[in-house]
Amino acid sequence: MSTLTSIGLEHLDDLALGSVFLATGGGGDPHVPKLITREAIKTYGNVSLLSPQDVADDAFIVPIGSVGAPTVSLELLPSLNEAAKTLEAFEAYVGKKIDAVASFEIGGGNSLIPICAAAAKGLPVIDGDGMGRALPEAQMMSYPIAGVRPTPALAFDYAGNQAIFKTASTEVYERHIRAFSMAAGGIVTTAEHAMTGKQLKEAVIPGTVSFSIALGRLLREQRGQADMLLAPLQQLFGASIYGECRLIYTGKVIDKTTRIIGGYDIGEATIEAFSGEGNNLHINIKNEYLLARQGERVRASVPDLITIVDYESGEPINAERLRYGHRVAVFATGCPAFYHTAAALKVVAPRCFGFDINYVPLEDL
Amino acid sequence: MRIGIDVGGTHTDAVILDGDTVIASTKSLTSADVISGVESALDTVIKEAAVSQDKIKTVMIGTTQFTNAIVERRELSPMAAVRIGLPSGKGMPPMVDWPQDMVEAIGAQVHMLHGGYLYDGFPVADLRDDEIDALIKNLLTHKIKNVAIASAFSPMNAQPEIIVSERIKKAIPDARITLSHNFGRLGLMERENAAIMNTTLLPFADRVVTSFLGALKSRGLNCPAYISQNDGTLMSSEFVRDYPALTFASGPTNSLRGAFKLTGLEDAIVVDIGGTTSDIGVLQGGFPRESNVVVNIGGIRTNFRMPDIMAIGLGGGSIVSEDGMSIGPQSVGHRLVTEGVVFGGQTLTTTDIIVAAGDETIGNKSRVSSVSKQTVANAKATMRRMLDQNIEMMKPGGKDIPVILVGGGAVLVTDGLAAASKLYRPENAGVANAIGAAIAQVGGEAERMISYRSISREDALKKVTQAATDKAVSAGADISTIRAVDIEETAIPYMDEGATRLRVKVIGELAG
Repeated sequence: MSTLTSIGLEHLDDLALGSVFLATGGGGDPHVPKLITREAIKTYGNVSLLSPQDVADDAFIVPIGSVGAPTVSLELLPSLNEAAKTLEAFEAYVGKKIDAVASFEIGGGNSLIPICAAAAKGLPVIDGDGMGRALPEAQMMSYPIAGVRPTPALAFDYAGNQAIFKTASTEVYERHIRAFSMAAGGIVTTAEHAMTGKQLKEAVIPGTVSFSIALGRLLREQRGQADMLLAPLQQLFGASIYGECRLIYTGKVIDKTTRIIGGYDIGEATIEAFSGEGNNLHINIKNEYLLARQGERVRASVPDLITIVDYESGEPINAERLRYGHRVAVFATGCPAFYHTAAALKVVAPRCFGFDINYVPLEDL
Repeated sequence: MRIGIDVGGTHTDAVILDGDTVIASTKSLTSADVISGVESALDTVIKEAAVSQDKIKTVMIGTTQFTNAIVERRELSPMAAVRIGLPSGKGMPPMVDWPQDMVEAIGAQVHMLHGGYLYDGFPVADLRDDEIDALIKNLLTHKIKNVAIASAFSPMNAQPEIIVSERIKKAIPDARITLSHNFGRLGLMERENAAIMNTTLLPFADRVVTSFLGALKSRGLNCPAYISQNDGTLMSSEFVRDYPALTFASGPTNSLRGAFKLTGLEDAIVVDIGGTTSDIGVLQGGFPRESNVVVNIGGIRTNFRMPDIMAIGLGGGSIVSEDGMSIGPQSVGHRLVTEGVVFGGQTLTTTDIIVAAGDETIGNKSRVSSVSKQTVANAKATMRRMLDQNIEMMKPGGKDIPVILVGGGAVLVTDGLAAASKLYRPENAGVANAIGAAIAQVGGEAERMISYRSISREDALKKVTQAATDKAVSAGADISTIRAVDIEETAIPYMDEGATRLRVKVIGELAG
């Protein structure tokens, strides 16, 4: 287990890089969130990292992050104190002081926003998140799956406009928050799924912040051809909550088509082996890489992680950037045990994404 | 007839083309002052071709001087960077992610103003007169005339950039201003980075263009001169005075375009073998396949499009292991002529191998007689394997595809390549870059974020194509020859159905 207790400037590049691997193609480019978090740590100092098991049962924990289209944040940049002001507005609304903040999803930019918020507010950040990867919808987070209520929630836009949400379910919350984020320029910061320390211990995917930093460090230090990455990745994942890690394919992208349906980038990529031999690998995409098949044979499926990396550098490639001609390696990694539970599979099994197959864990494929 | 010149970090090449025929070419070392090397290259080709200067209708120049100025942090001028986007991005000023030495090298003043637009055209905030007045006052106080301006979503609505620019020009008539929307693509920080790098190069661009034009004039060449851009198209030399950053990485593009011209092959793999590396690129429809990764120039993130190039450590100076089983990436580089075994040195290089094999007669062959037959055979197999494997990886979709060899190291390939359907070794392959510069056309590009809910796809395409065409014409294209060569539509996740980034690139022949 990691003994990391504090996050400083030196961890941000690795955290961002690891988070793209865990984002399985989605989650948005963490570059802008990394920069704003760097400015926050430069201004306010390091952030202490709190292991979930060390959190008091009666502590008040608030997950925070961005909701909306990551593409928009390429133009509508975040402000240094936006996340901290979101927390302050939330505290004012619920009339309660926050003890620590947590991440919605470790995959992509939302691995960093809680750290930015925690730095400016002088709060610790939980070493863990609500997905252990990236997934497209709020109800797929471990927090609601474990019974944490999404609301009251507060959303805060670039100009400081706020909206409070009280909804019957996470599904309804998801619809409303998306509508608000569209009206507010495409991206907002939200505080939601607030919980006690006791709830957190049941609901969180533990250790993912320090794990993502270790993963990013590995990818940086081992930068180079993707097949050389397999052994060190297996060692790192094998000793973590993820377990199995496999290199399932190497080749080049010969087709990629996606289109937006209901706000999601949905489509398919086809990868042909460098040798031109054997069946092509087909990847189904809904923001994230969700299903990898060779002919009829399933090689990996959600909730297990499918990550596509650049063959020459080992750098993970998100689905928006994946293009025809890209030379890639495809890794599959087991998901945390939480997502093997019946309650979790009810919302994240392949059928929840419209694939007519049952979930078979990677290690049984 | 036209002249193509390529000013690289090491070599300055020049060619004269008569139609499609190379009638003179020269390759020489780049001089420290650049311009005297260009002048002597011009003298050499004009003399060799024995043509009168008035037969030369245009001169095209590819140059790495602006890229190198950024990379080496020299020839950079003081400037101000103005961002229009508050209240968004507070605490994330321009250049926030730049290497510290570069920030210091240009010593830019940074200003942030309210304004800009959202993706759907709703204002982020209104421009504020008091902020613009304070900005102008500050520029006057510090006597700053070079200004870069970037506003949120300016590729969709450039008004804030234009309004602030006009206000500055009214107060400082000789101000040199770069507006980020002229660098097209979405991504505020990357577009702003391009505008800032461009601005800090403006005075240097004036000096370079003036000295190029002076060199041409002194050689009796009074024809128009053009300079190549990173996408393989041209801009007029006067245009470069305002947009030097558009020349970044034009070298690899010119090499690929030159290979196309030399063979007429629209779809092919091009392997440019130099002293230290082989650069493998792909021609699609006669143009380089573009890379999709974020491009860093001198440690600064940009969204320029660059050709998709894979560089492998195999060149004429690459060092060969004793058994011949491993080659490179270490290379003796330009010291080959002293360190290579056939030249009297002690380091076994790929060039020594092909001499030992009897494939080439370079240097003193007797010096490699002690290299075992097995080593020679192994090393040749290793070279072939390195090229074959990497060409396979670059090849589009399993099809058989021809391979064009260019560059001085092309002699290394002696027995053909398994990955190539056919192997081409065009004459004049050593000056492919200069030929690529000489045949370049004029292009223009525009990008918008649009919603097919509010505008039909047809109308959107028309609108963006018009914007790209306007740019091509202002860069010197003949409007009657303009055609769209690339249309890219990228759907945007987590937005309305139909929300799309639409990018159009057009290309046309030089006017006149």
